[in-house]
Amino acid sequence: MSAPRPVLGVDVGGTNTDAVIMIGEEVVAAAKRTTTPDVGDGLIAAAQAVLGTAGIAPDALGTVMIGTTQFINAFVQRRDLTAVAAVRVSLPKADGIPPMVGWPADLIEVVGRHSYMVGGGSFYDGRDYAPLDTAGLEQAAADIRARGIRSIAVTSNFAPVRPDIEQKAAQIIASVHPDADITLSSEVGGLGLIDRENAALINASLRNLSRKVVTSLRDALGRVGVKAPIYFSQNDGTLVSTEYATRFPIVTCSAGPTNSIRGAAFLTGIQDAIVMDIGGTTTDLGFLVRGFPRETATAHLIGGVRTNFRMPDVLSIALGGGTLVRGAPPAVRLGPDSVGYELDRRALVFGGKELTTTDVAVRAGQAAIGDPARVRAVPDAMVQSVLDRIHTRIEDAIDQMKTSSKPVPVILVGGGHILLSRSLRGTSQVHRPKHADVANAVGAAISMVSGRVDRLFDFAIGREKALEQAREEALAAALAAGAEPGSVDIVELTELPMTHMRTTAVQVKVRAVGRLASGER
Amino acid sequence: MFSITNDIDVQDMARGAVLLGSGGGGDPYVGELYLRNQLAEGRSAKIIKASELPDDAFVLSIAGVGAPTVIVEHLVSTNTLLRLLEASESFYGRRIDALISAEIGGVNSMFPLALGTRAGLPVVDGDGMGRAFPHLEMTTFGVYGCGATPSILMDDSGNVAHVRTTANRIAEDVVRSVCAALGSMIFGSFYPMSGRQVKQLAVHDTVSHTLEIGRRIRQARESQADPVAGVLEFLNAPHEGRHARELFNGRIVDVLHETRDGWHWGRVLISSGASEEPEFRIEIQNEYLVARNRGRTVTIVPDLIAVLDAESAEPLTAEMLAYGQRVRVIGYSAAPIMRRPECLKVFGPRLFGIDEDFRPVEDLSAEEPVRA
Repeated sequence: MSAPRPVLGVDVGGTNTDAVIMIGEEVVAAAKRTTTPDVGDGLIAAAQAVLGTAGIAPDALGTVMIGTTQFINAFVQRRDLTAVAAVRVSLPKADGIPPMVGWPADLIEVVGRHSYMVGGGSFYDGRDYAPLDTAGLEQAAADIRARGIRSIAVTSNFAPVRPDIEQKAAQIIASVHPDADITLSSEVGGLGLIDRENAALINASLRNLSRKVVTSLRDALGRVGVKAPIYFSQNDGTLVSTEYATRFPIVTCSAGPTNSIRGAAFLTGIQDAIVMDIGGTTTDLGFLVRGFPRETATAHLIGGVRTNFRMPDVLSIALGGGTLVRGAPPAVRLGPDSVGYELDRRALVFGGKELTTTDVAVRAGQAAIGDPARVRAVPDAMVQSVLDRIHTRIEDAIDQMKTSSKPVPVILVGGGHILLSRSLRGTSQVHRPKHADVANAVGAAISMVSGRVDRLFDFAIGREKALEQAREEALAAALAAGAEPGSVDIVELTELPMTHMRTTAVQVKVRAVGRLASGER
Repeated sequence: MFSITNDIDVQDMARGAVLLGSGGGGDPYVGELYLRNQLAEGRSAKIIKASELPDDAFVLSIAGVGAPTVIVEHLVSTNTLLRLLEASESFYGRRIDALISAEIGGVNSMFPLALGTRAGLPVVDGDGMGRAFPHLEMTTFGVYGCGATPSILMDDSGNVAHVRTTANRIAEDVVRSVCAALGSMIFGSFYPMSGRQVKQLAVHDTVSHTLEIGRRIRQARESQADPVAGVLEFLNAPHEGRHARELFNGRIVDVLHETRDGWHWGRVLISSGASEEPEFRIEIQNEYLVARNRGRTVTIVPDLIAVLDAESAEPLTAEMLAYGQRVRVIGYSAAPIMRRPECLKVFGPRLFGIDEDFRPVEDLSAEEPVRA
């Protein structure tokens, strides 16, 4: 087997664009640059920096892997979104709750309220309850076209069981509106029509932006001279193609925290741990299970819209290096407000006037930042009291993330790790890996590929047989996504029986993950 | 009479309905969205006290019947609700004057409001159990001689079933079978009653309770106060001398969920962290049925048990419980009518296979002060 080719891992965040070059298991170069309005320029700067440091020619790269928070940020800030039309195939069912009910008004203002409901859909067992209303779809498509809307989300009843209904509906729409850019709900979500439809609509509203951003990043790499295939990280820490990321920007929406958690795992070699990112304003805790972030079990809000999109289960607490300290012992108070990015002007050690947690850490000798002389006057009792409070808050948060009382290892990333000096209750060990400040770019660089199944299976054929079928479908999906045959494992399998009904249908969720076949890593 | 005109009230009611569900009744989310859409279209929900009903008024219960997994796909159809109303009026041969919920706990708190708001009918401030129960016959209406049938069941495709049974327990089985045959989600009208019967037999004021419970939790959160204390203060306010108290505060250390014969069975163990063994245990059969502290019963059905997220006081249904959650548990006395001997024969502990007599939560608390 030939020597592994270098991999470029990039994280295009809201503030910084981080890049790393990895050869095999080793981080050979790392750089942090400011994210630019046209994301391509920031990428060029970061990529050239790491290529220069590593002394690697751009065309020697084997693969490029990009994680980005551009899409989620745009959606939350209601910027660069495109008008969307919702087409729901569900009549005579579900007319009482039309698409976009409950959406925030500022979002409706941007994407519009263009919704259409037509006949068709399936029972939970896959039988049609109504024929697909072709004429209704044609009429809707004509109206959408007349309104000048291109981006469309199509959602049908029980689409996870019968995706073909949505596919057929999309064909009919496209026959009338050839420029239509269509997202199918079954491509982006599981059971739960409203949440799945919302995910499809969010995705549709991001399609213009995703085309722009993905093109910009790809062109930027071209200008640097990179010839390697480019992939994007999705929420579960696995890869999708640039083509897929363009079509389904929503799958990248929480790649940021995921990559940070996975990067931390890689940098320490630990597969099961709590990853704690202590920033300026908040501390984010994620849970690493078998090398992947644990995902939320319940519905998740994205920019005020409920989806059943699975996100890393991240707990954020208002405690960071910039958190303001008030009061006197024993009644000291931490935050919840923080000086944030103004730490280097407002904190005492930087000549500012406000006592922050960073000042206390410096006074305690846990860090050498700024001018320690400026915090000499902070009394010992105050220092002890603040440190007690910080450690208790962190310990409580760790406790909340844990799934058993067994002690777990903790991996610290992010600049705020200086706040901690003691051993933490409920933990077995605290790791502070090298390159922790670019853990997210490392996370991108080590991404794998996955396949997923989330639908109802009939256990009448026998539970084991049904589960075997579900596993096979997930494995096939992982191979289709580019996994190397033989490297694919089932990393998750959940059964959710249908309560209240005497039926043998069971919702099964399976995820299979494997190495990227073309990566030669 | 009062009206519900804004989204915040609807969300408060949904939250309160989960608390009164005592772990069961399903997530009211679908009903909440339906109502919010009605309000957005300029309608409002009108809620009247039972005492405002004329004795000869005609009142019907409206309910959705089905699996939680199915309702989140099929949602709810306005046409179906309106056809159900029309079919019921034509079947009974008279106008319906008001709607009432049979089960205030969970999603069926919302469907009478949904139809009432759409059709301009008032909804009675009360229900048939003041909580959630797994069977159709488990209502005060039924205990005191009202038939759950004649009943009309309807799916969204226009299929209609008229059900007339000799006992409410049989109605339960027939309705389940019809539901399964029609894709596992139907709507029905049940328990036709006179205004006089509603006044005598309903558990009163439960619609306003859902609103007030949800509101207390939200307001306490907004003002950084203890939301559980806010709820307890309301529940202990003098409504028919009812009583509520915090039973336990701890972390879930084990949850068992299983589905047997279509029902959700389970058990949850909660630990305060003070001792090796988890001290607190709740038995689940769709709803929370009995809570025990160190083996001693502290609340038992039909009294209510509510499990709240320790931080936000968001009420949690049994399906939502998971290992590691920090929770606070509340015991709440059922309405006095629910505790009468004839009621306990229909939904007392033994009906759920618990070999124990009902004892009121306030007596259990007097027996043994609980160290939480």
